[in-house]
Amino acid sequence: MTNFLKVAFFSLLVISGFWGFSNFGIPQIKPADPPVEEKVDLGAMTMDQFIALGKKNFDGKGTCTLCHNALGRAPMLDKIGAVAAERMKDARYKGAAKTVEEYLMESLVKPSAFVVAGFGKSGTNDTESPMPDVTGGSIGFNEAETKAVIAYLQDSSGSEVTVEIPKMAPPPAEGAAKAEEAPLKTAEEVIARHGCGGCHKIAGQTGEMGPDLTRIGATRNKEYLRQAILDPDAVIAKGFTAGMMPKIYGEQMKAKELEMLVNYMAGSKK
Amino acid sequence: MLTRNMKITCGAFLLAVFAMFMQPALMPAANASEAAATASSVASAPAAMPAPAASAAAAPATAAAPAAHAVTYPPAPKLTAADYPTIPGVNSRVAVWLVAQLHLWFGAFVVAVPMFVFIIEAIGMATRDERYDNMAYEFIKVSITAYSLTAILGGLLSFCLILFYPDLFKYMALIFKGSMWAYALLFFAESAVLYIYYYGWHWLQGGNKKWVHLTLGLLLNAVGCLLMFLANAWTTFMMSPAAVDAAGVFNGDTWAAIHNFLWNPINIHRVVANVAYGGSIVGAYAAFKFLSAQKKEERAHYDWMGYNANFIAIAALLPLPFAGYYLTAELYAYSQQMGITLMGGVFAWIFIIQAVLIGALFLSANYYLWCGMGRSEGAYRYNPRIKYIAIVLVVAFLVWFTPHTLVLTNSELKDLGGPYHKYLGVLGIMPAKNTAVNYLLVFTFLSFMFYRRANKVATVSWAAAGNAAQIALFTAGLINITILGVYHGYFTNTVYKVAASIPQVLTTLVIIIVSTIIDAFMYKGAKDVAPLHWGRMPPRSQYALFLLAVSFTWLMGLMGYVRSGIRQHWHISNIFRDGSPDAFTPGLGYVANIVSIGTIMFMAMVIFVFWLSTISGKHVVAKGYWKEQQA
Amino acid sequence: MSATPKRMIPRLLQMALVIVGVYFGFILFFDVLLGQLIPKSLLTMYMVFVVAGVVMVFTFTEQGAQELAGPIKALVEDPSKKMMRNVVFVIVPLLAGYYTYSSMLLSFEAPVELRTIHPAPPNKFKAYGKSYNLTTLENPYRKFEKEDPAKFKELVKEGGDVYIRNCQYCHGDKLDGKGPYASGLNPTPLNFQDVGTIAQLQESFLFWRIATGGPGLPAEAAPWISSMPVWQDFLTEDEIWKVILFLYNYTGRQPRSWAHE
Repeated sequence: MTNFLKVAFFSLLVISGFWGFSNFGIPQIKPADPPVEEKVDLGAMTMDQFIALGKKNFDGKGTCTLCHNALGRAPMLDKIGAVAAERMKDARYKGAAKTVEEYLMESLVKPSAFVVAGFGKSGTNDTESPMPDVTGGSIGFNEAETKAVIAYLQDSSGSEVTVEIPKMAPPPAEGAAKAEEAPLKTAEEVIARHGCGGCHKIAGQTGEMGPDLTRIGATRNKEYLRQAILDPDAVIAKGFTAGMMPKIYGEQMKAKELEMLVNYMAGSKK
Repeated sequence: MLTRNMKITCGAFLLAVFAMFMQPALMPAANASEAAATASSVASAPAAMPAPAASAAAAPATAAAPAAHAVTYPPAPKLTAADYPTIPGVNSRVAVWLVAQLHLWFGAFVVAVPMFVFIIEAIGMATRDERYDNMAYEFIKVSITAYSLTAILGGLLSFCLILFYPDLFKYMALIFKGSMWAYALLFFAESAVLYIYYYGWHWLQGGNKKWVHLTLGLLLNAVGCLLMFLANAWTTFMMSPAAVDAAGVFNGDTWAAIHNFLWNPINIHRVVANVAYGGSIVGAYAAFKFLSAQKKEERAHYDWMGYNANFIAIAALLPLPFAGYYLTAELYAYSQQMGITLMGGVFAWIFIIQAVLIGALFLSANYYLWCGMGRSEGAYRYNPRIKYIAIVLVVAFLVWFTPHTLVLTNSELKDLGGPYHKYLGVLGIMPAKNTAVNYLLVFTFLSFMFYRRANKVATVSWAAAGNAAQIALFTAGLINITILGVYHGYFTNTVYKVAASIPQVLTTLVIIIVSTIIDAFMYKGAKDVAPLHWGRMPPRSQYALFLLAVSFTWLMGLMGYVRSGIRQHWHISNIFRDGSPDAFTPGLGYVANIVSIGTIMFMAMVIFVFWLSTISGKHVVAKGYWKEQQA
Repeated sequence: MSATPKRMIPRLLQMALVIVGVYFGFILFFDVLLGQLIPKSLLTMYMVFVVAGVVMVFTFTEQGAQELAGPIKALVEDPSKKMMRNVVFVIVPLLAGYYTYSSMLLSFEAPVELRTIHPAPPNKFKAYGKSYNLTTLENPYRKFEKEDPAKFKELVKEGGDVYIRNCQYCHGDKLDGKGPYASGLNPTPLNFQDVGTIAQLQESFLFWRIATGGPGLPAEAAPWISSMPVWQDFLTEDEIWKVILFLYNYTGRQPRSWAHE
């Protein structure tokens, strides 16, 4: 028994020797925590790159230039940094923003907080904006992307960029996430998801940029409607310009959703 | 007579070690057919069954691919912390870590023991020396309970994985379902062969029966290795996934997943390390029995057993650095990112700990050999030389230990004029360390040679010439190692720096092999100087054996962490991200805590296993307890 | 077994002398002869192994072990050594106490900081608004070394100009890390002549470190007390590649590469 105790004591001594050396004999380095996301490394981004990301989103994923362009569908944003301060003092301003950055954030997620005169939905007396919430619907910006767009707006309008690069990264590339989404159940959901009502009168929504679709089924067949969604510029309704409607729906919608939407419109006859 | 046996042991063992090197190279033939068979048994399309499965090595595996394609594999899930079930008060990573490590320790032990039991049994048959047979039986006897413990721990491990990491388990199980099924079957085979081998030991004696028994031993080893290789495949798949696209969709067959980039390097490394580890554990057993032995014969027996166990451990320890080097080189080849993470980043310090542990292994093994010279008076003439070996060992070890990044106080930093040390910095990089390791190996071998010839005088006529040849061989070899290390290490570019390590290794191996051969002939019929007394060993030499076993266990735990840790925050490298709160890479102090706890748990369980082997022989006559039976 | 021979110096004293001798040997060798002191942390670990080795040599024979243990045993048990025993039993605890006290004593020395000299590089990094893949990045000018030695020489010369105008203030005109401003920096600038620096690295690693500077160091290398500027703000991509050519050319080192030439 004494032998056993001796050996056990010796073994414990050896183990504690190794343990002690590992704990106190060598410098303790804390390995870096795993990166939050694997895709975009925001931590290594400079502000210029962040602004570049904002521009990319403004032109691309955000589809902002569809309306915010020289055609006058929506206000131009080239001086937004300067005018934002005035807007917050305007009597019609309903938001809670205190700074330009907050104002921009608000106008991106709650566009109706301030509607520039003449750009509101018809019949609402400029109290409601036709612009969708950029964090929802078909745009689906995350926090980083929204902030990047704000940084871009501040930068391009010549005012000071106050946005900080968020620590959190945007989600992995689209497609991966979209592919796993279940198809939508009804045409109304499809319309809501893709923000059709932002431009068209459809399903109770009152957009004005595109043709009125409430009675479209009376005059157009399914063939035409399907083409109008997949290739909007093929035939342009009278009084409207080509190039307004995004050509992205063929990629974004599932076949089933497209058919539901076509059937819905073809059925809207009165 | 005994020394001749020693020579045979030595030669046979070295051969066996080299044979093990070859084994994985031959494996694809066996596994391809196995994989093909399982792939077809799983797949829904029976038409894909490859015709003659065993005919060619790689062909059946590729032919089976369409069969595997019949199953569609999902992409690797993207998990968040909520996807990991938790039990309050249980840290799931630590639980899995400890169970996996314990499973591995026992697994290594039980895979290793039959290997040298087989060799010892064969030696016994060749020499007709019954002591070898008895020793082989004792080795298997003391480890028998360890088999069921390995299985229990393996079951516990999969239970823990299912419980704490269900999505990972599901993903892995789908890819490996073919081999998991084979794994289960092999486990039955392993148990069956083991029990026949063990319980039939005294039944299958003499003549042809003994041959049958030896064949069973070979079969046991084959099944054991196959089991380990299959388990290795799962581990290496997590490190170097094969046949998956960027999203983690698996598009190959089971064989493709098994035969991933790091599979063979790990197989080789583990086989060699297991033998060394198994040797050190049974050495500790013998040491304990020696210390508690009362009778003189008992002491002699366990001294002899401890000597053999230490010999096994050293013989396998010698090629181990090379197997490790090969593994690291392959790791670099697979992913430079992983390689630099391993050697240059956070983990760099782990190799300093490793250096300390391996230093402890080499020093204790040498010390045991030196103490062993006390077994006979004839060896005293060699004693004065020991201190020179010790000096070389310590110096080589200090070079090996010198870190690349020195820990400097601010005043030292100022004095040196920067974090670089002009002279010590030179010792911090690989060429110096490779050279030092080769010196360690050559001089450990020299210790062993001294021990072997200490009590002998060669009687052959060419003894003087033979000695001169050996001295020349050692000198030339050491000069070659030094030149290779210094010249190629510091005066050529990095390609040669890395490449120079291979001729260094070969030089060491040539020294070892050639002088073993010369010795074998030169000491044929040599006469003893004085009688050899087994059992005349100081108790402190036995503690060297304990140090060997404990250091080895701890070292395996540490290196197991490194192997797993270089994946960092991935379950499966760059494919399947670890989304759990435990995805962080722990610091070395934390690792040392876990490894120490694991080592203590393992030691306690091993003591239990050894104790069980002793109680089966005990027989207590409880007088007056049983009713008297009327005759 | 032969009787203990009479020795000039008792074994225990021999052992102590060897250990102390090695200790001061290290200090003499490094601090005095070579002029580069041996770090205390390293010396401590070296001594642990030296002591282990010495004890092993002194105890591997039965006789040796007894000679070593004999005086200690006698000190504890021999009645005639009572005086000495008492002295030792007082001095040893006092020494231990002093050691503990002095090592726990607060000092004004800043805590030891460890810098990882070669932090593991990221797979990719961004510079010049672009993303670079470090594993495949190569010096575009390296190929001229073989193909067009005259042009290569020209490029190295241009790199040298860049170096003299930008880098030598800290890294020195001999590339030894001893520029005019070097003494003001702690840690001092890197010595490119050292075998442990650029000779161990690939050119892509240097490009990363130069382009992103101290602030570009990964978190793992923290605390990044590097004052290396972010050179992508001052130099063009071409200039960095050229200066890398110069660094290797001047020091006569070869960049680390994975392919045989």
